Amino acid sequence: MQAQKSSVQGEANLAAIGAFVLIFAILFTIALMNAPVKATAQVTETLGSYLREVRTTALPFVAIVGLLAVGVAVAAAVVVRREWPDLTRRRALIAGYSFLAPYLLVTLTFTVGVILFALYIAFTKYEIYTEPTFVGLDNFAKALKSKQFLQSLHNVLWYAVIVTVAQTTIAIALAVLLNSPMRFKQFFRTVFYAPSVTSSVVITLIFVWLYLKTGYVNLLFSKVWELFGLHYKAIDWLGNPKGLIQLIVELFGGKIPSQQWYLRGPSVAWCCLMVQNIFTTAPTFMIMFLAALQDINPSLYEAASIDGANGWQQFWKITLPLLRPIVVLVLVLSTIGTLQIFDQVYLATAGGPLDTTVTPVYLVYTEALGKQGPIQMGYASAIAFILAILIFFFTFIQRRVIERGAEQY
Amino acid sequence: MKARWFSLMCALSVVALLVVACGPTPQPTEAPKPTVAAKPTEAAKPTEAAKPTEAAKPTEAAKPAEAKCPLAVEDGAVITFSGWGDETEQQIYRDSIERFKKVCPTVTVNYEPIPADFQTKLKAQMAGGTAPDVFYVDDQLMTAFGPTGQLLALDGYMAEAGVSRDDFIPALLTIFTLEGKTYGLPKDWGTLGLVYIPEVFDQAGVAYPTGEWTWDDLRAAARAIADKTDYGGFCQNADWARFAPWVFSNGGAYATDDLSKALLDTPQVKEMAQYVYDMKKEGSLVTAADVGASWCGEAIGKKLVGMTLEGGWMVNFMRQNYPDQKWAAVLIPKGPVTRADVIFTNAIGVNASTKYPRAAAAFTLYVTSRENQAEIVKTGFAYSTHPDQVDLVVDANDRAIAGGGVLSDSRVAYWGPNTGKINDVVSKALERVYLGDQTVDESFAQAQQEADAALKGQ
Repeated sequence: MQAQKSSVQGEANLAAIGAFVLIFAILFTIALMNAPVKATAQVTETLGSYLREVRTTALPFVAIVGLLAVGVAVAAAVVVRREWPDLTRRRALIAGYSFLAPYLLVTLTFTVGVILFALYIAFTKYEIYTEPTFVGLDNFAKALKSKQFLQSLHNVLWYAVIVTVAQTTIAIALAVLLNSPMRFKQFFRTVFYAPSVTSSVVITLIFVWLYLKTGYVNLLFSKVWELFGLHYKAIDWLGNPKGLIQLIVELFGGKIPSQQWYLRGPSVAWCCLMVQNIFTTAPTFMIMFLAALQDINPSLYEAASIDGANGWQQFWKITLPLLRPIVVLVLVLSTIGTLQIFDQVYLATAGGPLDTTVTPVYLVYTEALGKQGPIQMGYASAIAFILAILIFFFTFIQRRVIERGAEQY
Repeated sequence: MKARWFSLMCALSVVALLVVACGPTPQPTEAPKPTVAAKPTEAAKPTEAAKPTEAAKPTEAAKPAEAKCPLAVEDGAVITFSGWGDETEQQIYRDSIERFKKVCPTVTVNYEPIPADFQTKLKAQMAGGTAPDVFYVDDQLMTAFGPTGQLLALDGYMAEAGVSRDDFIPALLTIFTLEGKTYGLPKDWGTLGLVYIPEVFDQAGVAYPTGEWTWDDLRAAARAIADKTDYGGFCQNADWARFAPWVFSNGGAYATDDLSKALLDTPQVKEMAQYVYDMKKEGSLVTAADVGASWCGEAIGKKLVGMTLEGGWMVNFMRQNYPDQKWAAVLIPKGPVTRADVIFTNAIGVNASTKYPRAAAAFTLYVTSRENQAEIVKTGFAYSTHPDQVDLVVDANDRAIAGGGVLSDSRVAYWGPNTGKINDVVSKALERVYLGDQTVDESFAQAQQEADAALKGQ
């Protein structure tokens, strides 16, 4: 009995050591694959030349990730040692992780590894073709001192606030509308959803044409103005850097000087891109709300109408509260999506006019690829991490605020 | 009610989409393709059974006696050549490769053009070790590859082939020289001239521009056109490139030659910015967007303005898109100090990690040689980078524009690795002035600060 127990224990120890070695080996290989090295043809030619390069340029990275790998491997070994003696749990452990392995390996290599790489790079000066040199927090300091980066944050915050609120509201309105008994419901559902399934590149190009000075938006306005006998002066929508607040102030004869750009509000060009984004993404969220609406028990409405509640009251007291989980989801997804906006900017305005449509992700693109100067991978990574922290922060706050008081329903 | 409103909106947007889709978007017509002159004819092949002994060396006879490979190349060299460009440009380089094959028959050249996002793709390829052996180099790629050792210095091969830096127009080598070494040979160049529509001048009753013009003449004519006709006078966007000749002709520059300091907050720059802004205020200068064009060249094509500053690309652009619109060009106008133009140029460079450096260098030397460039000039596609070949330009308008490039005060708007940022700062400063958002003094004082920071790499 005693001997049997100790042999089981020995087996468990052996398995734990095996797990440790295996997991450490996998993680360390991933670390090597993601090590920041001078990636020239000579370096990547053979395994030997690559490892030599890692030894000379990327030791700190490999050491840090190696330590992390030891931690994870030890944790895994402890679990294996505990679970091993119990046959069912051992089997569950092995089967579970075997099924997970393909996904885990891909994620670890191409997501976690790359994120660690980028995090490391954010603290270095790195031009891809040269070795990364450690510069501490310089890149972060440079970003926070750069007017262009601050302006990109300013832009993207306006964007997130306006677009998130507008598209969530529109999505709920559309969903409620389409959920009510009406004719041609299927048709409208398809039509409303069409912009969301169309490629954002195509939609952006169409909007660029619509917004041209000689485009249809101006044509429409001039026709409407003509109806009232007024002369309409065509606006260069995507080329207009004037801020909304600035325009209002100027209407009353005031002026916001160029130095106080942060008081000017989102520019006309930026608002045009907002309209486009609302148009494209609202239907996606509409589908989510529609699904959630169909889950609401009709007897609730029946009971409410017997109690004398009108449609408006039913919407505020039944529909909206029951949609709360989806609202949280939509707000979070929308905030993340809007803070990361890139494609529309890249295609429609390239950050202009006067940087009023520049966004952090667009800056990451220009700096990482050296569009206007030397390649600055480290600086670009630092911007990316500041943005990631910001997104994390907003998501956290939103969940806190909206989920508070959710219990009362 | 609401539903009806939405259905109306839907119908409207569908109609708008249809109208846009069917609208008259200018379709660039297919470029006239130069015929392939250098194709080896099938007849030359010794297919006749009567002379089997000759079969071993059939191509020797076809080779011209005087043409010889610029360098002795590696055996069995296979090199890849890559550049941007539309179908016209690709054909020109395919023809160049054919000519190269005649002088260096042992080298195989694979041409892999990358028409869009060339620089991005090349940087990625270089990082992955799959970059081509020979490729176009512009200031952006020079900045990324030059200081990091990704380009092969060509001076040794140039000496061996008997090619000297003095063979090229001096201003063109500025960008591609680093610490006294040459990392790219200029393949072509461009500059700006005064492009105008004679018909508009006739309507306004103004004499046609000449090569003797000054900016004052330009302004007077632009004002007359704006006043007396429905066309815009002179088209110029808030753009560093079109503004550069104004500044250079006033003895100014965007930065000092040693790149220690920006020169934007100087009278030379600000006087000209004020001049341009005054023109805008009085209505003699319009932007492309003002008249509903995407760029000023298009404004000429659509006959929306009388004049603009554009380059040799107008020849093919007008031929392909607006063949019926008559236009002409003269030398860039003279400024208060001198007559000077801005030069744009690109080079061909060699990947430092190429397997066949000699073959790659030989190809670069041949493509940029007098012999090959004389052929390219004939197509009207680009100017030769050799000063003695500038008058080979065929088209009269094009020749007038090209004249600006060989003026002694003309220069490249290159300000070191951060050129892109500095030029962008200038464009933005002009844009603020154009908008009336800031005065010239305010705007260029701010630009000076931004450009100084950019020069320091901040």
